[in-house]
Amino acid sequence: MAGKSGRTIQAVPQNSVKKMLLSWEGALVLLFIALNIFNTIISPSYTLTNVLREMPKYLAEIFMLFPMAYILVLGDIDISVGSIVCLSATVACMASNAGLPMVLVFAVGLLVGVACGLVNGIILTRFTELPSMIVTLATQIIFRGIAEISLGSGGSVSLKNIDGFNAIGGKLGKVPYVFFFVMIAAVIFTVILAKCSFGRKLYAIGSNSTAAYYAGVNVQKCRLIVFTLMGLMAGFCAMFLTSALFGANTTTGQGFEMDVIAMAVFGGIATTGGKGNLIGGIISAFIIVLLRIALGQINLNSQLILVIIGALLIIAVLIPGVSSNLRARRKMKTTA
Amino acid sequence: MQKKSIWKKLTASREASLVIVLIVLCAVVSIFSPNFLSPTNIGQIFRNNALIMVMAVGMLCVLLTGGIDISITSILAFSGMTVGMLLKNEILSNTFLLFVIATAIGLGCGILNGVIISKGKVTPIICTMGFMYIWRGLAYVVSNSSWASGSDVAGYSDFGKDGSAGPYVILIVVFVLFFILMKWTKFGRKIYAVGSNAEAARISGINVDRTLTSAYAVMGMLSGLCGALSVAIYASAQPNMQYGKEMDVIAACVIGGASMNGGRGTIVGTFFGALIMAIIAKALPLVGIDSIAQNTVKGVIILAVVILNVVTQRMMDRQNLERREM
Repeated sequence: MAGKSGRTIQAVPQNSVKKMLLSWEGALVLLFIALNIFNTIISPSYTLTNVLREMPKYLAEIFMLFPMAYILVLGDIDISVGSIVCLSATVACMASNAGLPMVLVFAVGLLVGVACGLVNGIILTRFTELPSMIVTLATQIIFRGIAEISLGSGGSVSLKNIDGFNAIGGKLGKVPYVFFFVMIAAVIFTVILAKCSFGRKLYAIGSNSTAAYYAGVNVQKCRLIVFTLMGLMAGFCAMFLTSALFGANTTTGQGFEMDVIAMAVFGGIATTGGKGNLIGGIISAFIIVLLRIALGQINLNSQLILVIIGALLIIAVLIPGVSSNLRARRKMKTTA
Repeated sequence: MQKKSIWKKLTASREASLVIVLIVLCAVVSIFSPNFLSPTNIGQIFRNNALIMVMAVGMLCVLLTGGIDISITSILAFSGMTVGMLLKNEILSNTFLLFVIATAIGLGCGILNGVIISKGKVTPIICTMGFMYIWRGLAYVVSNSSWASGSDVAGYSDFGKDGSAGPYVILIVVFVLFFILMKWTKFGRKIYAVGSNAEAARISGINVDRTLTSAYAVMGMLSGLCGALSVAIYASAQPNMQYGKEMDVIAACVIGGASMNGGRGTIVGTFFGALIMAIIAKALPLVGIDSIAQNTVKGVIILAVVILNVVTQRMMDRQNLERREM
C-alpha cells in the first residue's frame, strides 16, 4: 500500500507499524484523531448529533474530490468546477420551478454537469498543447457567465417547490443521506484508482504520458473520460448543495475548486501527477470539514478559518520538499 | 517580394497583430458610438483598468518563469485594507507613506511566495492558492470585516479621483520601467533565460532560485502598490475588493502573447492585451450586448485566443516541415 502512495515521510522505514505511522496516510489518521480531541476541548457543542446536523452543508463538496484526485494524478488541473456547480444548480432550480418532476430535475442537473465536463475534455484533447489551467480558467468564466445570463438581472433563483429536494436532503436516523452517497462514491472511486486497470493507466499517464502512449494507453480517451466524470460529480455536488440551500445565485460554488484541490493536495496527491491515493484525500476532506464545523461552532470569524486552511495547505505541500531537501543534505554529509 | 516580407513581418509579430486587432476594434466601436475615442472616454478606460494593467506587468514576469500567481488580488486586498484601516483610525494620512507601506506589504507577501516556490519546490498554483486564502482572510481580520468608506479616505483619495493624474503617472512609470528592465537589464534577461530552460540557465551560472523569487517579489510588490491605488481610485476599501480579478490579469497576459509554459511574452504585448480586454468590456454595452453577458464574452475571447495560438503554431510547424522536405 505504502509503495503506491508514493509520498512517505521517510525513505526506507524499518518495520510495518513504523511504516504505517510514517506514511502520509498514517500521519493524517493521527491528525484526524488529534483534531477530534482538540475540537471537543475547544467547543462544548461538538457532539455527534450536532456534527451530523451541520455536516450536509459541507459534504456536497467532497463529491468533487474524487474526480479531482484523478485529474491531479493525470498531472492536469480543473479550476472550472465551482462554475459548473453554479450552472448546474441554476438550471436544475429553473427546471424545478418550471414544474418538471424531481427525477427529471435531477437528470437535468447531472446532464448539465456532464456537458460542461465534456466541453473541457473535448477542448483539452483536441488541442493537447494547451495547459488545462488556462482552458479551465476560460471555461470557469464562461460557465458562470452562462449562469449569470440565465439568472437575469436579479442574480438569484429560489425553489418554489422544495419537496423534491427535501427528499434528497433527508436523513436516515441521524445520518443525512448525502453522507451515504459520499461514502458509496468514495469506495467506487478508490477501488477504481487503486485496483482497476483504468486507475493504473491514470498513474502511467501522470508519471510519463509519452511512455504511457507508447505502452498502448489511449491517453486522450482517458483524459476525456476523467474530465467528463469531473462534470458529472460537479452535477451531484450541485444537486446536494441545492437540497441544503433551496436555491442558486451567481456566487453559488464560488471557490469550491480551491477547496477541493486543497483537500486533495492535503491528502498527499501531488499536483505534478502520478502520485497519491484517494484514502489520504478522503481523510483530509473530513479533517477540513470537521475543522470548519468546530471553528464555526465557537463563532470564530469565518475568514480566519480560511487563513487556517490556507496555512495547513502550504505546510502540507512544504513537508515533502523540505524533508527531501534535508535527506539530500544528510546524504551529502555522509558521503563527504 | 519586398511587399510579402513586410506582410509576413506584420503577421508574424505578436505586437503588430495586436495593434491591428486594436485598430479594427476601435474602428468598429466608433461606428456604433462616434465619441468612443474622445479623450475623456479613453482616460476613463485607462483609469478603470489601471489596476489590471499594473498587475499584468508583474504577472508577465511570473508567467515568463513558467509559474502562475493567483494570490495577487488577495495581496491587493490585504495591503489595500491595511491602508484603509490606517486612514480610518487616523493613524497615518500621508499619501506617499501609505503607498510605501502598501508596496512593502506586497513585497513581503511576494517574497514569501517566491521563497516557498523556489526553495520548497512547491507547485506555483498550489502555493499561491494557499496564500490566496491567507491574505484574503487577513484582509478581513485587519478590518474586522468592516469597510473604509469614502469619508474615511477623503483626503487620500484625491490622488486617484476622476481627473487626477495619479493613476496615469503610476501606469506610465510602471510600464516604462519594466519595458526597460525586461529588455535591457540582467534582471529581465535572467527571467527569460530561466523561463525558456531552467536547466540551461543554471548551467550558465544563473541563480535560478533567486531569479524565481525575484519574479514573485515583483508580482507581490506591484499587487501591494495596486492595493493602495485601488483605495485611491475607488475611494473605499472593502475586504472583498477585486475578488476574482486575478483571472482578468492572467487573461490580459495570455491575449498579449505570454505563454503559460514560460519564456515567451513581452511588456508591449501585455499592454495591448490588457487594453484590448478593457476596450471590449467597455464596448459591449455600446454595441447592444447586455452587460450581464460580459463575462461569457470575456471567457469566449480568452478561449478563442489560446486556441488560435495553437492552430497558428501548428500551421507554422507544418510549413517549416514542408520547406525542409523540399
